[in-house]
Amino acid sequence: MRNALLVILLILIFSACSKDQNMSLDNNGQSGSITRFVVHNDYMYVLNLNEVKTFSLSDPDNPQLVNVLTTDFGLETIIIYDETIFIGSTNALYILGIDQPDSPVLLSKSDRGEILLEGCDPVVVKDHFAYSTIKIINNICGIINAVSALVVYDIEDKLNPVFISQYPMNQPNGLGYKGNYLLVCDGGNHLVEVFDISNPHKVVLTDYSFGVSDPVDIIIKGEQAIISSKKEFRLYDISDIENIRPLGVIGK
Amino acid sequence: MNLCHSLRYCFVFFLFAFLLACEKEPLLHSGMGKKPIYIPHNELNDIANLPQQEVISTGTIFLREPHFFMLEDRRGIHVYDVSDPNFPTYLTFLKIPAITDFSISGNRLYADSWRDLLTLDITDLFDIKVISRNENQLNPILFPELYNGIFECVDESRGAIGGWEDVYLEEAACQTNN
Repeated sequence: MRNALLVILLILIFSACSKDQNMSLDNNGQSGSITRFVVHNDYMYVLNLNEVKTFSLSDPDNPQLVNVLTTDFGLETIIIYDETIFIGSTNALYILGIDQPDSPVLLSKSDRGEILLEGCDPVVVKDHFAYSTIKIINNICGIINAVSALVVYDIEDKLNPVFISQYPMNQPNGLGYKGNYLLVCDGGNHLVEVFDISNPHKVVLTDYSFGVSDPVDIIIKGEQAIISSKKEFRLYDISDIENIRPLGVIGK
Repeated sequence: MNLCHSLRYCFVFFLFAFLLACEKEPLLHSGMGKKPIYIPHNELNDIANLPQQEVISTGTIFLREPHFFMLEDRRGIHVYDVSDPNFPTYLTFLKIPAITDFSISGNRLYADSWRDLLTLDITDLFDIKVISRNENQLNPILFPELYNGIFECVDESRGAIGGWEDVYLEEAACQTNN
């Protein structure tokens, strides 16, 4: 009975218009894809390594802890898309429902692998698909294997996300999208890779990728992108995705 | 450094917990390793505006037009004006010792301050004020991230972790292992 209600609820959620909203956006601003704090309406969700803490901001001067959801260890990044929390952890993608924003409930946890895997896993969501970069360092008998990738999940059924594809990368970090283009920071290649995601089942690397020294995270706002590196940030004009142009820079 | 909290599996080998140690693993290790740099607890309240600071290790970024906020790991937040994208300008540095993450809502900035959740009034970006400190809400990571090796165990009575330095360690009892 509960499940049936949940399904109906999910259908209602999905029947709402899909938004082209990027990352953690509310009236107050927008974060990159790598953060452990997110504010949504009157609540703030904060990650500890194995906890999602919910704070009420009804008195914005004095956040009150209202809920603690305990998970496995390894929580890293949190975003909210379409009234749903997406958490990247070292080895899983968590999806949490916030129909009751003061008490998030776990809808699903998509395990990716074994305990020896390690990742760094920001997530962005567009329509019914979640895109996450993973950095996996596998230490077996002292031999270090690094496997990194962009992975795509079909999240139409939030109770049962389906892994649908992956694309190998070097050392991917933050990511964001504009329309059907996904921009992924790759610190290993010193590139921001541009993928065509018009078919999420088959993401295609384009020729529009551009060089950035040690890119870490990205915020896309309209026709502009802000890309942070270890020691600086730079703005880019992305109005013409085939010809992304650097604007101003601050830093070293 | 803390951008990706990617070192997950930290096994702490205490002298008395020898059962947990690998058979051939010595319990104490000497050699090059990492040592915490402490921020004394009484300095955690040293929160203030400072002039432009060097960018050393960035973290969380946040855009609230026309302002752009960029974390400086364990030190504070750089604030810029990006209203002219060709010429971003540096506005101020928000000194928040031990910070590793933050978010903003309205004129309130929420940040971690070791184990506490801080609320700051940033109505005047050049004159920030601490409004509240909600104690013991956060569990900081007590080992060096993105690192495999021995380290000096964290002694929280000495303060919050402000970073890690590479030193020769005599008989270190902690190590990361992933």
